[in-house]
Amino acid sequence: MNKKTIEALQILSISLIWVLFTGIAVWIVSLIRESLRLHDAPDASVGISIVAIPVFFTLAAILTYVFIGLRKGRKEESEP
Amino acid sequence: MEHAPAKPHPDAALLRPIENPGRSFYYIVGALLVIISYTGFVYFRQLWFGLGVTGMAQPVTWGFYIINFVFFIGISHAGTLISAILRLSKAEWRRPITRMAEVITAIVLAIGGLHPIIDLGRPDRMLHLFYNGRLQSPLLWDVASITAYFTASTIYLYIPMIPDIAILRDRGVKPRWLYEFLSWGWQGTEKQHKVLDRAMNILMIMVIPIAVSVHTIISYIFAMTVQPGWHSTIFGPYFVVGAIFSGIAAILVLMIVFRKVFRLEGYLKHIHFNYLSILLLIMSIIWFYFTFSEYLTGFYGHEPNEMRVFWYKFSGDFAPYFWAMIALNFALPVAILCNRKTRTIPGILIASISVIIGMWLERLIIVVPSLANPRLPYPTGIYIPSHTEWMMFIGGISVFILGYMIFARFFPVISIWEIEEGRQESAKIVTERINSYMPDPEPSAAGE
Repeated sequence: MNKKTIEALQILSISLIWVLFTGIAVWIVSLIRESLRLHDAPDASVGISIVAIPVFFTLAAILTYVFIGLRKGRKEESEP
Repeated sequence: MEHAPAKPHPDAALLRPIENPGRSFYYIVGALLVIISYTGFVYFRQLWFGLGVTGMAQPVTWGFYIINFVFFIGISHAGTLISAILRLSKAEWRRPITRMAEVITAIVLAIGGLHPIIDLGRPDRMLHLFYNGRLQSPLLWDVASITAYFTASTIYLYIPMIPDIAILRDRGVKPRWLYEFLSWGWQGTEKQHKVLDRAMNILMIMVIPIAVSVHTIISYIFAMTVQPGWHSTIFGPYFVVGAIFSGIAAILVLMIVFRKVFRLEGYLKHIHFNYLSILLLIMSIIWFYFTFSEYLTGFYGHEPNEMRVFWYKFSGDFAPYFWAMIALNFALPVAILCNRKTRTIPGILIASISVIIGMWLERLIIVVPSLANPRLPYPTGIYIPSHTEWMMFIGGISVFILGYMIFARFFPVISIWEIEEGRQESAKIVTERINSYMPDPEPSAAGE
């Protein structure tokens, strides 16, 4: 497998992580909206669920930061 | 790109399982695959005939699957939580241990997380969760927290592995594309090290509350009901303590096995076992304290339904399991680990296996007696696990062993770069740290 294909796969995998985590966030938000509409969940339940959303995005952000950071670190070293 | 033949590495012992796994690896994998295939057949039989093939019936509608769910998720605390705590506290002796612990978390979480789906007679009903999930149910919180924990612990396992993956890439180990893909262009530059350190620092702080939340929320599945024996305010911390306790025991067993199989005596020294076994001893005492508090308050309340469950455990049908749990989780480990003469590696292995069995019994004792003695005027329920449930349990353990073996076949189970870093920098860092917190000598004494 050549380097370009591997790089494309790496970028694709990071993008898919964002898609997955955005999907989870959308799911949680839709459940919260539904429970507020039906008035069938205590506020604590809603609060606990809201906390989960930034957790997923922070994890995706850390992965992206490492991915970009390692690429930048590599480029600087190879420059004369 | 052509690679030069691999040079001898100073930590060749850590690369041996990857570069030369040996025939026994394939024999064991084959045997495990046979067990897992049979487990798959048993599961499809359950799907076909329904949950009638299990020992679950009214009023005991939760059995081995939920017990194993709680047990496996508990074991998962071995890794990320303990590894994060050791990293945060800058315990230098952590270096050969952390990855082994982190791998346990990732594999066991995946296995544990599947158990509630196995418990559903109709697994397709999991899909209802996506559009009909009810936020007031702790089961739904569990889905979110276990997913978050699995993601966080997998990332926490992967990021510190990048430099080691690059070592394998540079040595031309096959499959090359896999190591090239996973190494993310690591070259070991100063800037790359800074990025990695920063990410690891954020992750280790994030992972601790996530791990604690997971087992707390699992306890809420029980504690948020008004079922006798479950409705307890200390169930959250009690479950977290039990999880860390069983997790440490699981790491110790794995360390002893890997030390023996891969001849890692130079990396996993007696001091590592000594420190971890003292931690196990402390957790055993804390676990006993929580168990004592939990049952004492229930007993003093003397609520009739609560007392029915209480006596069912203390002197009824579940008394042998209850007292075995006390012996295996407290009496035996404390007796072995308190004494320096018995705190040897075989002694630690016996104490750790004892704790793992004892903690499984604890999950059994929490789940079944409360359901067998409901508030409604039912006769006391009987639960005898069927062949299907035993096989799913054995299959789960086989998947864990297979997962760990496959991981060890492709990646080093001990972090090579962290060991190298420790050799080069630990002594200096520790000296500087000690100097920073030790009081300065009196000026007159310094002048003498």
